Amino acid sequence: MDVIYGLLPGMLLLGIIGVALFFWAVRSGQYDDMDGAANRILMDDPPEKEQANDTDTDK
Amino acid sequence: MSIPCYHCGLPVQHAGSFTAKVADENHEFCCFGCQTVCETIHNAGLQSFYLKTPEGEHLAPPPSLSAELASYDLDEVQSDYVDKLDDIRSIHLLVEGIHCAACVWLIEHSLAKQQGVVSAEVNLTSKRLRLKWDNRLTTLSTLLQALGRIGYAAVPFDPDTAEGALARRHRSLLYRMAFAGFAMMNMLWISIALYSGADQGEFKNWFHWISFLIATPTLLYAGYPFLRNALLGLRRRYLTMDLPIAIGAVTTYGYSTYVTITASALGHVYFDTVVNFLFVILVGRYLEAISKREALSATSRLLELQPKLATVMIDGLAKVVPIRAVKIGDLVLVKPGEKIPVDGVLTDGQSAVDESMLTGESLPVVKKNSDQVVAGSINGEGAFTVKVQQVLRNTALAKIVSLMEDAQASKAPIQCTADKIVPWFVVVTLTLAAATFIYWYQFDFEKALLAATSVLIITCPCAFGMATPMSVAVATGVAAHHGILIKQGAALEYLSKVTHFVFDKTGTLTEGKLRVVTVESFSVLSEDRLLMLAGAVEQHSQHGIAKAILAESAARDLTLSPITDFSSSAGQGVQASLNQQHVLLGTQSWLAELGFVFTDIVLNRIDSLEHQGISCVFMATEGQIVGLIGVADQLRPDAVSMINDLQQQGIAITVLSGDKQAVVGAITAELGDIQRQAEVLPKDKADVVRALQNQGVIVAMVGDGVNDAPALIQADVGIALASGTDVSIESADIVLSHNELRKVTEARRLASRTLSTIRQNIVLSISYNIIMVPLAMMGLVNPLIAAITMPISSLLVIGNAARIKRLFKG
Repeated sequence: MDVIYGLLPGMLLLGIIGVALFFWAVRSGQYDDMDGAANRILMDDPPEKEQANDTDTDK
Repeated sequence: MSIPCYHCGLPVQHAGSFTAKVADENHEFCCFGCQTVCETIHNAGLQSFYLKTPEGEHLAPPPSLSAELASYDLDEVQSDYVDKLDDIRSIHLLVEGIHCAACVWLIEHSLAKQQGVVSAEVNLTSKRLRLKWDNRLTTLSTLLQALGRIGYAAVPFDPDTAEGALARRHRSLLYRMAFAGFAMMNMLWISIALYSGADQGEFKNWFHWISFLIATPTLLYAGYPFLRNALLGLRRRYLTMDLPIAIGAVTTYGYSTYVTITASALGHVYFDTVVNFLFVILVGRYLEAISKREALSATSRLLELQPKLATVMIDGLAKVVPIRAVKIGDLVLVKPGEKIPVDGVLTDGQSAVDESMLTGESLPVVKKNSDQVVAGSINGEGAFTVKVQQVLRNTALAKIVSLMEDAQASKAPIQCTADKIVPWFVVVTLTLAAATFIYWYQFDFEKALLAATSVLIITCPCAFGMATPMSVAVATGVAAHHGILIKQGAALEYLSKVTHFVFDKTGTLTEGKLRVVTVESFSVLSEDRLLMLAGAVEQHSQHGIAKAILAESAARDLTLSPITDFSSSAGQGVQASLNQQHVLLGTQSWLAELGFVFTDIVLNRIDSLEHQGISCVFMATEGQIVGLIGVADQLRPDAVSMINDLQQQGIAITVLSGDKQAVVGAITAELGDIQRQAEVLPKDKADVVRALQNQGVIVAMVGDGVNDAPALIQADVGIALASGTDVSIESADIVLSHNELRKVTEARRLASRTLSTIRQNIVLSISYNIIMVPLAMMGLVNPLIAAITMPISSLLVIGNAARIKRLFKG
């Protein structure tokens, strides 16, 4: 059972990584629009010109 | 039932007025704006927008674009909103009219088709658009016009100044909640191990220390807002809900730390309780913050966010500059239809100026040379120059606004039910804990400490602390979806106790717009012919009466002939020639001055019409008065049913107005048995409310103008219409976003429902305490029982609050 001495700190470490990831996600604005993103995926039929534009914006 | 407009879904009033062939089919529209928007959408090949809009959704009718759009292209103006004035610029825009995902699709796709747009991202939750464009290929105003053509009005804004502080607080709350959530999840594993027997074995201390390691940062970081507010409250001798929360968390934590350090054989650790408790309370606070932010960001959308600009004359040349750059003594040019940006003296030109937002007077005032004009009033048809006397914070308008702010700051916070109970709750809890300690101390010190602490732990005000905020949060959210924006949650509680409603007349009960109510001919001309002539003469005017006449002639399907030799005398009348006939249209005094004779019959008629609140303009041609057109303000269509509803609930109604008694009586005649106070000066409105309050009545004020603002603040609950002025929206607790008076009764219904839910929740949490506290005092509570019962009590309260949502369903 001595493994518990290593497992618990390991669990905490994983948890802290999770929290850090969450903080990053919030900071990068992923939680700013909870309604739009959910609907946007259902709406997609891009007009031709946008695809041409994509190459510009992705740079 | 009439046909719905193909674009916005509102009923079409005159079928056939606006028909367009769209996608090989004829469709009916309610107005020219909707027709243009629909044609633009189809021409751009984006017609699947209509398929994507949810069934039964009403699109906003298209906006009227501000004439100042081009000023957004100036670098001086853009520098306030754009990070860098490079070739590629990005800006945040607030967009009016976004309500569903189809709008997001339409905006993003139609902008993507515009030349020079690098990217356009819409945020549906906050109704924002982040636009990136190439300034070499296009201009901002072009893009704003493109948005206007598909039916959305957009204004630039700076997210940092507009809501920076609020967003940062919101985000920090989210971080704290997430951290408490992470701590809670890990803690639960340890708790399960402890409950299932580890607290007897060799790992007991190891588990305790790990729990301590998790709980300490949680208390300090996630619990920081509660600890801080509790201390602040103590220092100001004001007991808030945060105090019992802080006491509960700190004693539980302190006791568990004591057990961990001394490795006491008797004690249990309650670290999991601390962490769970903080997490659940933070979830409640976060939900509350979301709905509050929704209401606030909606009101900030309503407030005018346009850049303040002025046209300054420098060496005879007009130059548009930001208002900050205008100095006292400068000459400012005010164009027709513009809002006057400064206080000053008119030096050149003349015009009729609408000062209604300051004085409540609905008809424009004529301004001539050396007359005073004030910032915020709206220019009519003439252009003039003003010598600047006061700018920005020193204008009359700014002074009124700062008076409002002072009044608001000094207004005592509304005490909600929970606030009144909290001090008692704290006192009773501490007394019971002390009594428990004294009783057990006779037997055993450690046992006494344990029992006393578990009393504090079990009375943990979790359910109690969320009883009010959760109900208010749910109610605010539901209300926002129905166009009722609640800025102050506590106002909801008060609204249900209101027994007297005070309404402003002009602009609130009435539409605040003039409408033709009578056309009378004194000659051989028919009424329609009279109206046609009047419409033709007025066709290029922007005056309120002109708009009323034009709307009426459009409604009667009259064709307006072209006119020549048009001239207007500001605030007095207009004249023009058509078909070799010279027609004058104006006020009685103006025509009398020009030598026209009013017979006794006509004079009597004027008298009786004015008694009914109808203002008259007269038409003269070929040397005599040939007819009159009467215009008046009308009640909003839902005013009567709303007043009846309120009266049936036993609420007294008072209508306030600056107009004469006879006018008020005539216009509000349909409203039946209500109190009417006429000729109330703007500054006396608050006194009327105060007088009612002195009789012990709880008063709600409903208004829309600057002159209503003191009364809105004075009243126990202030309700403003969204079409009202910025100042009145600022002063109100509740804003009705669609200008529907019906919402007043809905808000009241929601308020009483919320109040009863709050009461149920308080009863729930108190009965939980009545059962659990005696157990704790007897020393029978162990960590497992605490861990199970406490979340259950919180969940009951949350679940009960969620039931408010069902009020508006079915």
